[in-house]
Amino acid sequence: MGEEILKTVKINKSFGITHAVKDVTVSFYKGEIHGLIGENGSGKSTLMSMLTGIYSIGSGEFILEGKKLNVKNQVEANRNGVSIIVQEMGTLSGLTVAENIFLGNEDQFVKFGIKNAAAMNRKAQALLDQYGFHHIHASTMIDNYDFEDRKLIEIVKATYFNPKILVVDETTTTLSQAGRDELYKHMKRLKKLGSTVIFISHDLEEVIRMTDRITILRDGELIDTVQSSDVTEDDLKRLMVGRELSGRYYRTDYGEPVSKEVVLSAKNVSVPGQLRNISFDLHKGEILGIGGLSECGMHEVGKAVFGASYDRTGEVALADGTHIDSIPTAIKHNIAYVSKDRDNESLVINDSIRDNICLTSMDRLSKHHIILNKKLDQFANRYAKIVSVKMVGVGQFVSDLSGGNKQKVALARWIGKDSDILVLDSPTRGIDVKVKADIYALMSDMKKQGKSTIVISEEILELLGMCDRILVMKEGAFSGEFKRDPALTEEDFIAKMV
Amino acid sequence: MTEQNQKKSLGARYSEFMDKPIARDVLPIIGFLIILVLFAILTHGKIIQPFNVRLLLSQTYVLMIAATGVFLIMTMGCLDFSQGSMLGIASIVICYLSAYNIFLAILGGIVTGGAIGAINGFFHVKRKIPSFIVTICTMYLFRGLCAYLTTNSPVYAVGNVYQYNTETVKLCLTIGLLLIIFLVYHFTKLGYSLKAIGAGETASRFAGIKVQKVKWLIYIVAGMITGFAAFINVIKVGSVTSTGGNMLETEILIALVLGGMPISGGAMVRYINIIAGVLTYKVLSAGLNMMGLATEMQQLIEGVVFLIVVALFSDRKSLKVIK
Repeated sequence: MGEEILKTVKINKSFGITHAVKDVTVSFYKGEIHGLIGENGSGKSTLMSMLTGIYSIGSGEFILEGKKLNVKNQVEANRNGVSIIVQEMGTLSGLTVAENIFLGNEDQFVKFGIKNAAAMNRKAQALLDQYGFHHIHASTMIDNYDFEDRKLIEIVKATYFNPKILVVDETTTTLSQAGRDELYKHMKRLKKLGSTVIFISHDLEEVIRMTDRITILRDGELIDTVQSSDVTEDDLKRLMVGRELSGRYYRTDYGEPVSKEVVLSAKNVSVPGQLRNISFDLHKGEILGIGGLSECGMHEVGKAVFGASYDRTGEVALADGTHIDSIPTAIKHNIAYVSKDRDNESLVINDSIRDNICLTSMDRLSKHHIILNKKLDQFANRYAKIVSVKMVGVGQFVSDLSGGNKQKVALARWIGKDSDILVLDSPTRGIDVKVKADIYALMSDMKKQGKSTIVISEEILELLGMCDRILVMKEGAFSGEFKRDPALTEEDFIAKMV
Repeated sequence: MTEQNQKKSLGARYSEFMDKPIARDVLPIIGFLIILVLFAILTHGKIIQPFNVRLLLSQTYVLMIAATGVFLIMTMGCLDFSQGSMLGIASIVICYLSAYNIFLAILGGIVTGGAIGAINGFFHVKRKIPSFIVTICTMYLFRGLCAYLTTNSPVYAVGNVYQYNTETVKLCLTIGLLLIIFLVYHFTKLGYSLKAIGAGETASRFAGIKVQKVKWLIYIVAGMITGFAAFINVIKVGSVTSTGGNMLETEILIALVLGGMPISGGAMVRYINIIAGVLTYKVLSAGLNMMGLATEMQQLIEGVVFLIVVALFSDRKSLKVIK
């Protein structure tokens, strides 16, 4: 048993009608890495956002070293020795690397009201070098770095002052292995210094490996805190979901032949700067995977098939010869597309669940061009139920939902549209095991109904587990093709990716 | 839990209430009733006397009709400042054509408005210029044209247009238009598309809505509606001066916002915003007038009320950039 450093006392938070965090009381010890897990919408991020001043505290108290802590923003949190690396982009565009690192703490470089930019850059560069990030320059605009580097900069920003509490919120899902190792290193360093790291991740294997203790939340409530050495992944899954989950959620069939019938073919498709002359066929009832590194252009393939790319050349055609050149044509011919960018492209988040589900099926729902509200309600309810969206009612706004539930709404829309070809870009990004299992089940279902799916994913295991055939991409072109085979390993795959 | 923590701050309660869809449905009507009762008391009942009600209504038609078009534009999260000069130009065309045939005149007004709307739409949709910039430019452009055409003398309509200037005609035309727009707004795919575009343009595009086409169409339709309003204007006034339709765009904007319309458009928009807003605005300004306040004082009070309402109704979650 360690010495307590931080305690949450009966913390609550509501967003409108959603009660996101309910009476959560947990103790965190000095010098431990403490895992925080739960399904999407279980309240992990909300709880940590309140600790670090991103959200205001609904009710209850945070006690840090015996004193009440109620910070208004992240800068104030930092001054109290609490810092966070957030799930999405946590750095500000339009500022230099150094300005980002010292955001809110510029005072130390200010003399007589004038900021000494040179001193700031020097100190930032010293820090970057000390962390081993020699390729990042402190005086450069942060926009010149990619997502990965910007995350590394965030690591520096959140850890250089040796905070007493560091929160790492689902950061690893967006990082490459090298980036992850870098992050692990600093988590361990802080632990050695006697600080506490609160680690949020959906990768349960990683959580068990990295942490000393794990706290599980479900529906905003505290379920249990366990010793990491005592539990298995399956134990955690059970605690998170509240019921037994079968250990495997991928497809288990191998060697079933795929129909020879081609439903969609792409020929010599190019998009400037993204895709170079790619061609492929999609068969009836096939799950076709497309994998590779994040920047390899695979995400553009989805857009190209859906007619959403700008400046696309080459052709995408259906079996009957119809060319798909615009989104309306694609939708009219029952092609569905779920984007990686859930909040901007997949869903109109500032609109109701009902409107989001019905939007693409308006033609079917109208009679003589007239659309009745009641009909939309019925339709939305029906498909929201099929994918089991957790909601108060279909009138609820999508912006109130958690990531997993948003994704379900996006899928409900296309199931309602009765799409024949589904293009799913990163369908399980940032989504917990239960919703993941639901989505995989749905994909298997679609396959059984003879529908074809293209899955674009950065998660190799997901592709290996679900796809009949996988195309690997590298620098905008295909670099390899694998047939479904239980003997395939991640290594085979990675060899073609890089 | 301490007692202090259990009490929610007033602000939190307010934003929770505003998140409920019902709030957006009833508040505009409640606001109108409050203003009406307030001025009924302040003017000792003068404002609800039949004569004044009729006067008030006769001043309302043009604003009500023109506001309907802008309402559609604002639902998509866009703006239109060119309505005033559009009304001026369309009125001039109607006056010219009234010499030949009254139906030709109406048609001419609608086509003129539609053409100006098409210009707005072209620059906003095809050249990708923010709508408020485009429409401020066209506002000046057509205000100038309007002044040029009326340099020597006001443009007069032929005498017999006054025969249409009856409350029945104007009321029927206004209600007819409001009804058509209501039906389109609530019961067609187009209506749902407008709200979706306001709530999220990119996501709407990915849901298969032809965003550019819809936007352009709505700019043209809004222009046509204002061209139609110009006809009501002409039969009432009978002539156009260089200031014809001056400040109409501001009045529309104020009226819609008073009616609870979020500036960012989107899913929080309600049809009732038009009717409640225009009536509230007209009662407010007529009421202040009847109380005998100086014009400057009236403007000052209107400004304060406007600010308060915008602060209450803006949809902070989705407020980013006006397109």
